[in-house]
Amino acid sequence: MNQGGFSASEISKSFGALQVLKGVSLTIKPGETLGLLGPNGAGKTTFINIIAGYEQQDNGTITVNGLSMDGMRPDERARAGIARTFQSGRLFTQLTVAENVALGALGLGVKPHEAQARAEQTMDILGLQSLATTTAATLSHGNARLVGLARAVAAQPKYLIMDEPAAGLNESEVPKLLNALSVIKNKIGCGMFLVEHNVGLVARACDRVIVLATGVLIFDGAPSDALSNSEVKNAYLGDASFGETI
Amino acid sequence: MQPLLDAFSLGGTYALAALGLGLVFGVLKLVNFAHAELITISAYIMVITNDLPLVISFILAAFTATVLAIITELAVYRRLRGTGPAIMLIASFGLSVGLQKSYELIFGALPRSAAVAPWMTGSVEIAGLNVTISSLVTVALTVLILLAMGYLVDFTTLGLQLRAASSDFKTARLLGVRSNRLITSSFAISGLLAAFVGFIIVVENPQVEPMFGLNITILALVGIVIGGISSLRGCALGGFIVGFILSILNTFLGNARVYAYSYLFLAVVIILLVRPGGILSKQNEMERV
Repeated sequence: MNQGGFSASEISKSFGALQVLKGVSLTIKPGETLGLLGPNGAGKTTFINIIAGYEQQDNGTITVNGLSMDGMRPDERARAGIARTFQSGRLFTQLTVAENVALGALGLGVKPHEAQARAEQTMDILGLQSLATTTAATLSHGNARLVGLARAVAAQPKYLIMDEPAAGLNESEVPKLLNALSVIKNKIGCGMFLVEHNVGLVARACDRVIVLATGVLIFDGAPSDALSNSEVKNAYLGDASFGETI
Repeated sequence: MQPLLDAFSLGGTYALAALGLGLVFGVLKLVNFAHAELITISAYIMVITNDLPLVISFILAAFTATVLAIITELAVYRRLRGTGPAIMLIASFGLSVGLQKSYELIFGALPRSAAVAPWMTGSVEIAGLNVTISSLVTVALTVLILLAMGYLVDFTTLGLQLRAASSDFKTARLLGVRSNRLITSSFAISGLLAAFVGFIIVVENPQVEPMFGLNITILALVGIVIGGISSLRGCALGGFIVGFILSILNTFLGNARVYAYSYLFLAVVIILLVRPGGILSKQNEMERV
């Protein structure tokens, strides 16, 4: 068992007769950014839902720094150091950006002044200070994504799980997200698990990449190696255009 | 001036009732029909303890309504959480009727009566105009309570969590907000607000019977729908509008005041046709129970 870091070991999950995950294992070292790629139906969403506690695995175990997460609810896992962002953003639309970000810490029982300080610090490093008093409902899609990221970061997690943070972003917004991920890595230093369809973003942001196909882990290694791996190419796109999407 | 003051007074009272309902709806998506019985029990306590100093009598009423609100949450709603909105709604009906019948057993079916704060039924002269003290006190009290609630909701951690939960309860919970504690707090505040409403009404109408709080609760429900059920401000505004319109109609319709409710609901339909999600809502389609 990995005592330091995040570890998912032999995770399996079935929905009825359909086995979505078949004994998937991975580790994330403290401060490491791991990318998860895979075609639609590969089991990516199920996997991160299990990690964050929204679904329970049938078999296998998940630990953070040696502490078992098995059986913990999502909020308990959040308190244990696992924060996640949502594909749909899920901001509190009637609240301001500053309030949304502060809630990332307040929800975990952090004292109000400390939560406010964390919110200000997080907005500062992610360049969101100018939007602090803006109501979340009025944000652009790209900024809403960054605020969702900031809210998760304000929890000061040990591991940050991101569910397709680039989904729906336009070409000018992706570099902003990439920069934000770099800032989080350098200034916050938490381990990150990036589930993303944007292969270019994963290649640039991640130290290591794993690839899932039909519930099986088919690759674990450097991003550059993934792009040239024939099994990954076949599973992901089924043709040679895989590398051209970067 | 008096009709206007009466309208503000009734509007304020309905705003408090609507706010109590809206608080619980915000976090649970539950229309708590038993809110009426919280108003009723506080009025009963005020009447029964009429011999005590008013402040003590009110503290007892507020304590009872708050504790009863918390008990309903712990004993009924918490156990049914996750069973679905229809079950919760029926439970709320059942609880309401059950409490009414309990009051009937405890206090009798006939009204219990006592002059609560009789000094409030007098009048004073302001700028040459006679106004009733109860109207002045009610307006002052509701303004104070609404300001206090505004502070609680806008400037405290509990308020921020309440607003977040009202906006998206599931996400708030996923972020670690302690949902049970938040829901219990909502019920407690709702009980306290019900006590204030009970006090205000019982001063004007000291005939307390088991269905004492039902009428205002139903109209407050109408208020939260037209104000915007997903927003606490909307709930308070909607409650105020209903009370204000009703008071004005009762004053100016004369003998035709029997049609006051018809005109009120006509106004409600018009408002909902223009703003289906309520006056302060930002979306037209919302989850409702």
